[in-house]
Amino acid sequence: MTIDLPFIWIAFKEIIKALPITLILTIVPLLVGFLIGIIVALVRIYKTRFVYQAANGYVSFFRGTPIIMHIMVIYYGIPLLVDQVASKFNLNIQSSKIPIILFVLTALSLAAGAYLSEIIRSGIISVSTGQLESAYSVGMTKIQAMFRIVLPQALAQSVPNFTNIFIGFLHTSSIAFLVSEKELTGAANIVASTNLKFLEAFIAAGIIYWGLTIIVEGISFLLEKRVTSYSRGGVS
Amino acid sequence: MGKAFDPLLIIEFLPTLLHYLGVTLEILAASIFLGLILGVAAAIPRLFKIPFLNQLVILYVSFIRGTPILIQLFLVFYGLPAILMIFNIDISKLEAIYFVIITYAISNGASFSEIFRGAIRAVDKGQTEAAYSVGMTSTQNFFRIVLPQALRIAFPNMANSFIGSLKDTSLAFSIGVMDMVGRGDTLISATAHALEVYITLSIIYYAVVLLFEKIFNKLEKHFNRYQSADLSVAA
Repeated sequence: MTIDLPFIWIAFKEIIKALPITLILTIVPLLVGFLIGIIVALVRIYKTRFVYQAANGYVSFFRGTPIIMHIMVIYYGIPLLVDQVASKFNLNIQSSKIPIILFVLTALSLAAGAYLSEIIRSGIISVSTGQLESAYSVGMTKIQAMFRIVLPQALAQSVPNFTNIFIGFLHTSSIAFLVSEKELTGAANIVASTNLKFLEAFIAAGIIYWGLTIIVEGISFLLEKRVTSYSRGGVS
Repeated sequence: MGKAFDPLLIIEFLPTLLHYLGVTLEILAASIFLGLILGVAAAIPRLFKIPFLNQLVILYVSFIRGTPILIQLFLVFYGLPAILMIFNIDISKLEAIYFVIITYAISNGASFSEIFRGAIRAVDKGQTEAAYSVGMTSTQNFFRIVLPQALRIAFPNMANSFIGSLKDTSLAFSIGVMDMVGRGDTLISATAHALEVYITLSIIYYAVVLLFEKIFNKLEKHFNRYQSADLSVAA
């Protein structure tokens, strides 16, 4: 077995067509997860009664189990649930009509929510209490202080963490291929098995992921420079 | 086939799958151990800025950080036999578990090297200066002063990597390893109760992760016992 170098390029061109699905599987869960993350982080910081324990349990469980488990449990669980509900209420919904990508997006969003809530929480905690006190002293309400003073600073400080999680979820989206989603890895697998050139196809996929990661890191570097331009300590 | 979802099956599956937890932990232990060696070896050229090797390690770390573990797994699984074939070594009959261990060791090595490098650089320069001022050699300084402190700093990150790696082992089944998830796969084909299998697996993973988190927290407290209260929070 020798490596067919020209085929890597052919595979590359074929696999990169699946890029939009990978990007959807990365960005949508992170956006939904961001909303979940902010809510969960605030619940955990203000120790809202009753919801607080649930929020803790949610974060702990989703961070403590592999993401493939979330995908699989939702992939097999939701159709069962939908069919049960449909047969009980005589609804005309068939679980087999639900596109698989929705299950994957749901699972990834829930996982992203748990990871992002921890990042947002640590960002909020790292903003000094003096900021909050001065916000109150100029007459801001609790909500104004949180959304105008604390959160913007917390999010700016969390840019490196957001980059890490973005890259993490870009890579995690490759798991979706195990439920036959045709994203980058899934496309690579198809190219590999139809041409029986596994190594070349996965080299091409690896190059695509690597390139994407480098681009994301570059964007993050510029973003970090921008968002911290007012808060850099020392001499500038 | 009985009910669509049978919670009792979870209890029934639990012992069967737990039986294969050993394989999962074996993969984890072997890949962490090899990863530690690789991590130290990769951190040295970075710390001492050894030309060429330094760039090579940067490339290695960047590649591992830049690609999903699943892709790395496939690259090793299909690539390693092809590379070794050039040297006339035939490993195509090697069991899949070894490919998994090699992949995870390479992956852990990259993250460990970055953790070590960061930790060693995080030790205050004054410590080295103080060591020299009492007449220590540079080797003595490294092993007696810098390394012990660096390990303390590195520990929380290493614990995170460890737990991340444990969760990553759940992908080993994709190249046909008979670990917990692989056994779960065969249970699904036998019983067609996928949901129960994955719930059982989640419970096991969660329990193991919680256990390790507890142990690591205890250890971290132990390592920080000489730190004054406010310092250990900062570190």
